[in-house]
Amino acid sequence: MRKAISVSDLNYKYPDGTLALKDVSMDIFEGESVALIGPNGAGKSTFLLHLNGVLKEGDGAVKIFGNEIHDRNIHEIRRKVGIVFQDPDDQLFMPTVFDDVAFGPINLGLGKDEVERRVKVALEKVGLSGYEDRSPHHLSFGEKKRASFATVLSMEPDILVLDEPTSNLDPKSRSELINTIKELNDDGKTIITATHDLNAVPDIAGRVYVLDKTIVAQGTTREVFEDLDLLRKINLDVPEVVRLFEVLRCFGYDYENLPLSIEEAISHLTQAIESEGGHIHLHIHEHTHERLSRTKEWHNHHTVKKSGK
Amino acid sequence: MEYIEIDEYHHLMSPIHQWDPRAKIVSILTLIFSVVLLYDLELAALGLIFAVILLLISKIPLKFVMWHLRWVVLFILPFFLIMPFAVLEGDITVNPEGFEYAFLILIKAISAVILIFPMIGTMRFNSTAKALERLKIPNKIVQMIIFTYRYIFVFIDEFSDISRSLDSRGFRRRTNMHTIRTLGKAIGMLFVKSYERSERVYNAMCSRGYTGNLKTFDKFEMMRNDWVKMFIVMGMAIGLHLLHFIYFMEMI
Repeated sequence: MRKAISVSDLNYKYPDGTLALKDVSMDIFEGESVALIGPNGAGKSTFLLHLNGVLKEGDGAVKIFGNEIHDRNIHEIRRKVGIVFQDPDDQLFMPTVFDDVAFGPINLGLGKDEVERRVKVALEKVGLSGYEDRSPHHLSFGEKKRASFATVLSMEPDILVLDEPTSNLDPKSRSELINTIKELNDDGKTIITATHDLNAVPDIAGRVYVLDKTIVAQGTTREVFEDLDLLRKINLDVPEVVRLFEVLRCFGYDYENLPLSIEEAISHLTQAIESEGGHIHLHIHEHTHERLSRTKEWHNHHTVKKSGK
Repeated sequence: MEYIEIDEYHHLMSPIHQWDPRAKIVSILTLIFSVVLLYDLELAALGLIFAVILLLISKIPLKFVMWHLRWVVLFILPFFLIMPFAVLEGDITVNPEGFEYAFLILIKAISAVILIFPMIGTMRFNSTAKALERLKIPNKIVQMIIFTYRYIFVFIDEFSDISRSLDSRGFRRRTNMHTIRTLGKAIGMLFVKSYERSERVYNAMCSRGYTGNLKTFDKFEMMRNDWVKMFIVMGMAIGLHLLHFIYFMEMI
């Protein structure tokens, strides 16, 4: 399989000299969907800006489909790599949704018919057909978010870079957006998503990189979420489902393949119940309390901080 | 959040709404210049009448226009105090001619502002921007207009967020240094935020292939009606100065 994104030993300092990224290396293959997780200030957004040459530091550290990013091929790179920024108000700057979605294709020098076709397709994909003449400042936050997806989709990029796509969305908009991301991946787009929304990660990503100025962990989603200690050390956590199964384990429920999402939990429990003859067995044994309090300890660690006790 | 928007009444149906945006801007702008360049009270009054007629045809509610006009009037009123003293003939005296000048300024200003409404209040703002682009206004200026319009709402939101956060922490606006200092800092913060946002917007634009020019599509087409309307309004503009010329000739 071809490498869509290849980053080797990327270093970046902010203009004031603070180290933002240190020796970051990453390989993402064509058609993959990868999540990039990390605490606040880990450099996720800074990293993403390197992927289409908005930030250029380091010498040929970033390769897109095997090509280094130069001034000469920057437009070609930006056609291939579309970034959806975190704040849709940064992304939507034209007077109407149509103009905004058409902005990229027009810059590519496409003809009017082709631009119109692409705008139509992109708006359909995000469920905003009929919004062409609306002004971005009249849209709801969820609509703005979807519109900013469309502005990038209309450029028909091979690689989609998403910065916190689910932040600030209500549950319905959030799950719609997660579905859109899944669909786009099914359509063959290579996707890299930076996110804090750990519950969404199992749905949208097969592999995870953990970034805290440098890559501190990587692996399949399951591998990364099984390494609780590491995640918690850098202020991250695991999806709620994983936490629940942690609790179940304290009650003697043993499992091999840790379920990461609700769907997985359902099929996991169904299988377990069927193979155990119609029920699963939970009980309190001698280590239960000890284990539970250890599990709770970390959780309390959070709440104590919050209440200031 | 409720915004006061210049194109609030773009959805109405009137001959001015259905006018080609390019022709509308060129014609009414000509009329505005024509009125502003008059030096004659009677003719300026005629200009005001033209302006009001166009406004009435456009069906934009008078209340909406008046609400905006108050600022203009507030700005012009001091002229009534200044002008009588400004027309000097030797010593400082009160010259009644000054009132006439002040009146002239007021009438011209009101006419010009009234004409703005049929001009850009009868179409969506994006049509205005596109028309300006089609009229070969330098692209940089069109971009500035588009961005100003787009982000003014974001800034209004951001400032009202700051303002609400001040209020909810017990800040009260008084006439003292603390108030001035606090508001100064809040506005300073807004500048910093805008600067940072402009960087992010620029990044987003570059990511979508921005190279310095902004292009859009439109469906503008000049029909016979558009030309007729253009002819009439241009006629008003030229007529005012023709009348001035005739008037001037008679004086001789």
